[in-house]
Parts: sequence; C-alpha cells; structure tokens
Amino acid sequence: MIEVKTEDSVTVISLDRGEKRNAMLPGMLTEFESAVRGIGEDSKAVVVNGKGKVFCAGFDLKACAADESGDTMRALLTGLSKCIVAMRECSVPVVMGVHGCAIAGGCAMLGGADVVVCERGAKLGYPVVKIGVSPAVSAAFLMSAVPHGAGRALMLDPGLIDGSRAFELGLVHEVVEDAGAVDSRVMELAGSLAAKPGVGVRETKRLVNAITKGTSDLGGDGLEASLSRVGSDEERAMLGAVWGS
Amino acid sequence: MSELAQLSIDGRIATLVMNRAEAHNSMSLEMLEVMHSRVDSLADSDCSVLVITGAGRSFCAGMDLKAVLVELSGDETLGKKLLTSLAKLTLKIRGLGMVTVASVNGAAIGGGCGLSCVCDVTVSHADSKMGFPEVDLGLCPAVIAPWVVAKMGAGRARAAMLKGGIMSGAEAAAIGLVDHLADDRDGLAALTAEVAERLASGGPKALATTKGLLNQIDGTMESEMVMKGAELSASVLATPEAQAALKARMKPAKG
Repeated sequence: MIEVKTEDSVTVISLDRGEKRNAMLPGMLTEFESAVRGIGEDSKAVVVNGKGKVFCAGFDLKACAADESGDTMRALLTGLSKCIVAMRECSVPVVMGVHGCAIAGGCAMLGGADVVVCERGAKLGYPVVKIGVSPAVSAAFLMSAVPHGAGRALMLDPGLIDGSRAFELGLVHEVVEDAGAVDSRVMELAGSLAAKPGVGVRETKRLVNAITKGTSDLGGDGLEASLSRVGSDEERAMLGAVWGS
Repeated sequence: MSELAQLSIDGRIATLVMNRAEAHNSMSLEMLEVMHSRVDSLADSDCSVLVITGAGRSFCAGMDLKAVLVELSGDETLGKKLLTSLAKLTLKIRGLGMVTVASVNGAAIGGGCGLSCVCDVTVSHADSKMGFPEVDLGLCPAVIAPWVVAKMGAGRARAAMLKGGIMSGAEAAAIGLVDHLADDRDGLAALTAEVAERLASGGPKALATTKGLLNQIDGTMESEMVMKGAELSASVLATPEAQAALKARMKPAKG
C-alpha cells in the first residue's frame, strides 16, 4: 500500500491505494512509518505523495465502522501519530505534494511535512468531529506550523477549505494551478534540496524542530485526547450513522 | 427593562446578544455582570456552539468611556473593576466546553475586538470596523493582548496593537482577525447561521475534547497573563495622561 523509490538522492514515498482514494489502513501507516524511518545516507530529500486521483481521503472509515471493538480506529490514530513524528524526526527535508484532496488523516499528514505543494482547487480539512472523532492527534503539529487562531478555527470546523485558503493560512507553502503540476513541482523542489550541501539543510531542520518543540511535544497528549473518544457512545453512533451497514 | 445581555438557545446553538445598542454595546460593569451570569448558565446546557453578537449596528465598542473617565464616573475604582470583570469573562468564555463564534456585526473596538479574539471562530462582514485604538487614547490593551496574540500570531498582533487605529472587516480578515467574511452587513446573519450549524454538526464531546487540547497547546487557560494584563490596563488608565486623552475624546460626542 506504500511504494518507495530512491533515485538521484531523492526518496519518493507514495500512498499506493489509489482505487480507494488512498484511504488509510493500519498496515499502510505501519509501512509508511517504516519507509520514513528507513531513509538512509543515500537520500538527501524525501517526497511524499499519493497515487491516483487524490492525495488521501483519510482513514478507511468502512473498516473503522466494521470493527466494533474500536481497535482499527485506535490503530489508525496511533499509526498516524507515528507517521507524523517520523516525518518530523527524519533528518532530511520532507516535501509533500497534495492533489485532489487531503481530508482528516490525510490533512493531518501535512503536519509532518517541511514543505507542502498543493493544487489550488484541492480540498483540505478535518471533518472528523462529524463522526464523533477528535482531530486532536495532529493538532500539536498543525499548531506549530500555522498561527494558533487560524489553526483553532480550522480544527474545530468540519468544513473544508481549498488550496488557496490553505496557502493564506500557512498550511501549505506553494500552490500550483493543476493537479498534474503537483508532482513535477515537488520533484523539482526535492531535487534542488538534494543538490544543496546536506549539513546546512539538516541542521536547519533540526533547529526549527527545536524551536517548535514546546508545541510538538504535546503530540502525545493529542493522541491520548483522540483515543479518549474512540468507542464512546457518541463516536459509535455518529460513525455508524454514516458508515454502518 | 430589557436585559443587558440576552441569551437564547435553539437546539445545540446558543446565542448571546450584547444589548446596549444606544451605547454601541460598550462594556459597562453591569453589562459584563449579566454576561458572566449568562455564560455561567451555559455550563450545564446541551449546547455545542455559542454565538456572541451585538444588538443594533455595533458588535461592541469596547470599554464604556463614561465609566472609565473618573471625572464623569466619580469612582476611581470603577476602571479596575471593569477590567478585572472583563479578564474573568474572557477566561470563562475560553474555558467553555463548546465552540464559540463571534459574529462581528459592526464596530468591534478595543476590548470588543479582544472579545472576538477570545472566541474560537470569528465571522464578520467586509464593512465592519475592527481594531485596537487603545494607544490612540493613551491606553494599553494589556487585558486582551494574550487573546490577540493567540488569534493572530505574535508578529501581526504586535503591529496591530502598536499601530492603533481602526480597520475594515476585509482588512481584518486579511491579517487573521476574521475567519469567515460576508460581503456586506446583510449577508452576515446567513453566514453566521451557516458556520454555527456546521460547527454544531460535530459531536459535542469530540468538539469539547478538541477544544480542551487546543487550549492546552496555546496555553490560553494560564490565567496569570490575562489577570496581570487587567492590572496593567487599569494602572495605565488611571494616569493623568490617559484621563486627559479620554476627556478630549469625550467632548465631540457631547456636541
């Protein structure tokens, strides 16, 4: 469910479940985290993108609704948190390309990236409160990237925003007009990062991580907050109403 | 007599209207006390969204200048009481386990603009008037400064509070004071309802959990900065320089 390729000092990690809009399953997130943790000396930049029509539609909610124990949802939240932390801790920069949509868990992944390129018309957001789930798991990473007021208004609101608005908020850092232009731009950016002397890039990422540490250290509390809602009457009822059979 | 702050509840959405339209809903001690009591009454409700707005053509014009000008009020302690009450009200609103929305229908000035920053989401229209003209009157917006910084980010908050003056709703949206902007005043009610209903579609406990974590992340429930801010605002307000500037400001209003 994850494809990894390394060429010319750039490792491309692709979500590879395009037929399901790259909906996340626990195993997919485990694979993703391993791929990021496995970045070796031969890579000087990482690209994260999604195959198919969209970047990522979030958790596979059908799988979550089918598992009444809530364990699938718990594994997804925990796996998502680990993926975001792995990208933050990756010693080389992570360039993310978003086309189509980045919803819920898909949008949360942006919190781990260093540079995000997004299609102008892409849809982004955290509509998970509508199924009784808290997006707290990624809040600490989002809030260390965008002004707190904007982050607050975005995380509490189940509405979606487009790439232009995400750029205004600082959630994404470059906007391109067409979905087809996202990949070429992220490859170009990653190539230019890989061509720089590595030490300056690595030390700069480490420094920015240190500056934002106070906020991102609350990632664990955010995961706990999200986990606290799983299996609640509210979550089961709201998730079931949308995805139950 | 009509209430100084009116609370109504429709399903999961509560609406609190500041109701001193003849004074542009400026904050008198009496109005703040009623607001405290209405917000307290929400603690046990089933509401998941609270909309705060103003009666008439203004949201809230800030402190009641008649109360803070000692020559008029005849009470040197009133300014500090008012600021302390405002500080406690902002902490109370931020601590609510529901999503709060400021619907800025007109002027939101000084403490009124600060009140909008306390809310989780701000909705306004392109022609509203917002800003922090405290410094123009020899005052210091300390009591609301922590909320302004949390809303806009420190860099933009620093510039906005030190420049003083007033901006349009459109300008306020461009710098992050407003999250959702209607084209004009006539469009605000519909936009506010749309945002409030969308927020209310979320699970109440999922929203409360998320908000609790956001409050933890941005440290806004650490009340010390807000309470110290109220003291600083009060001490600046009491200076002869500030009192003279306020007196000068009051004169044109009389004519």
